[in-house]
Amino acid sequence: MELLSKRPLVERIGYYLRSPVVLTILGTIGLLIAATLHSGSYILVNTVVTGGMWALMSMGLALVFGVMNIAHFAIGEMFMAGGLFSYFVITPLYDYLSLNPNETLAALAPILSILAGTIGGAMIGVLTEIFIFRPLRRRSREQWIMNTFILTLGISVVMINGHHLLFGSEFKGVVSYWPYQPITVLGTLISFDRAFVFVCSIVMMGGFWIFMKFTKIGQAIRAVSQDEKGALMVGVNLNTIQALTMALSCGLAALSGACLLFMFPSYPTVGVAPLYNAWFVVIVVGLGNVAGTIVGGFMVAMFQILTTVYIGEGWGLVFPSLIIIVILIFKPSGLFGTAVRGILDQ
Amino acid sequence: MEVSLLLEVKDLDSGYGFLQVLWGVSLHVDHGEFVCVIGPNGAGKSTIFKTICGLVPSAKGEILFKGRCINKLETNRICQRGLCYISEETNLFTGMTVLENLIMGGYTLKDKKKKKQLLDDVFSLFPRLEERRNQLAGTMSGGERKMLAIGRGIMSDPELLLVDEPSLGLAPVITLQVMRAMEVLRKNGMTLILVEQNVKKTLQITDRGYILEKGQIAMQGRSADLAQDEHVRKVFLGV
Repeated sequence: MELLSKRPLVERIGYYLRSPVVLTILGTIGLLIAATLHSGSYILVNTVVTGGMWALMSMGLALVFGVMNIAHFAIGEMFMAGGLFSYFVITPLYDYLSLNPNETLAALAPILSILAGTIGGAMIGVLTEIFIFRPLRRRSREQWIMNTFILTLGISVVMINGHHLLFGSEFKGVVSYWPYQPITVLGTLISFDRAFVFVCSIVMMGGFWIFMKFTKIGQAIRAVSQDEKGALMVGVNLNTIQALTMALSCGLAALSGACLLFMFPSYPTVGVAPLYNAWFVVIVVGLGNVAGTIVGGFMVAMFQILTTVYIGEGWGLVFPSLIIIVILIFKPSGLFGTAVRGILDQ
Repeated sequence: MEVSLLLEVKDLDSGYGFLQVLWGVSLHVDHGEFVCVIGPNGAGKSTIFKTICGLVPSAKGEILFKGRCINKLETNRICQRGLCYISEETNLFTGMTVLENLIMGGYTLKDKKKKKQLLDDVFSLFPRLEERRNQLAGTMSGGERKMLAIGRGIMSDPELLLVDEPSLGLAPVITLQVMRAMEVLRKNGMTLILVEQNVKKTLQITDRGYILEKGQIAMQGRSADLAQDEHVRKVFLGV
């Protein structure tokens, strides 16, 4: 049989169209379009907006799991931290703006607060790496995944209760980031905040890909995830790269939290639902598969929204959980695959 | 004052947890020498290399590279100093292409021109790698992987290369290519230590050798003399 690359173009397109990845993506898009035509464009808008953010969070989770093998169950709290820091930057800025209106500051203020949220979350991540995971690594590599799972649960408890103790459990949010009128896209009104969130997620995904593929640090992170010893042997400083990976992962989660402050006000347990969503996506897509989380984020967001619209408000988490059960039985390596093999794909 | 000895290992004890593998091992390598460490399986040859480059902590003894003690140094810092270890398992980045692996090899280098020049050197040494520069490292054959591992090691511009069993599991033709590449490296001024089980060929191309048996240096000397030695001939060369 000839090499695929030598076959005519039509045949190659046909081959790729039949791959499970492409079929899944096409199926998802088809379902989304059908539902939108049936119920209204808010389905498409909400899917795209929240999906983008779930994709970013899942990218962070897949990164920390793939590179450092940490089963992170506290990234929901990084989401919360992002929102919290953002709130504490935007609120004084708004107070100032209400007394001294300023066009440029009104446009820049949300960006500053989102940046503050992201950096704050990233710093917390680096602190956990230096004071929690590095000592664990030095002590023992046995049962690593289980240990990190338990440790991150602990971090989660500390952060949730820390928030409650220090900042109280009221909802700390904003009605909207930007004071602009909603924009019209394809006949629907979309608030500026939501449009920004979507654009931000696309830009971040593109930036992330460029970073991983073309920058020296990105290549070093990929090297560490593929062969730690090999990375050491070519001179990569593991401590630095691990700290940077953690900063990147927690930063992505915090970015989602900060961007979505108008949708998810910050309170101690706001991170629980995003945590589950991120893990849904990572499991469905395949543990450690970072590229697939982009598609997975949108898929899980879509299923949740469809479930909420067609079946009922409270069923939002049920359907994704059912899908995960089915996938774990028949294809534990996830839709887009990793090294884990299941009973049916031997 | 020039430090003549590139690498000095003095009275090294090392092992894995409770299992001691090396017992008082001492060796040295001069600039430009081609030295080998040979011995039966399980004697501890790989462990010497792993301890020197920092992957395994030493329990006792001293390791001096260019006159400075490197016992407690991490592997990546040792690589920056100019000592590069090429493992038997190759430890390649399987999800990256040949070219990406080689570029990662030059991670510690700041000079772009030097990197480009080293890349050209590697490709002229192993034309096969240039042919397959965009192929994923994980899909390459055993011989190609060894070549890539050596190439990646060269990319860090080392002064001393520790090569661990390059011919293991390779067809004789490929083994010849790899050995020839090391001779070329040596001719261009690289200092090499080779750990090998292929004793005959190794003693032919190296200057000096150490025989390691059960974690201790049993014999040492010029390779030509070792090849004539009765014990060596009986145990390793089957004569």
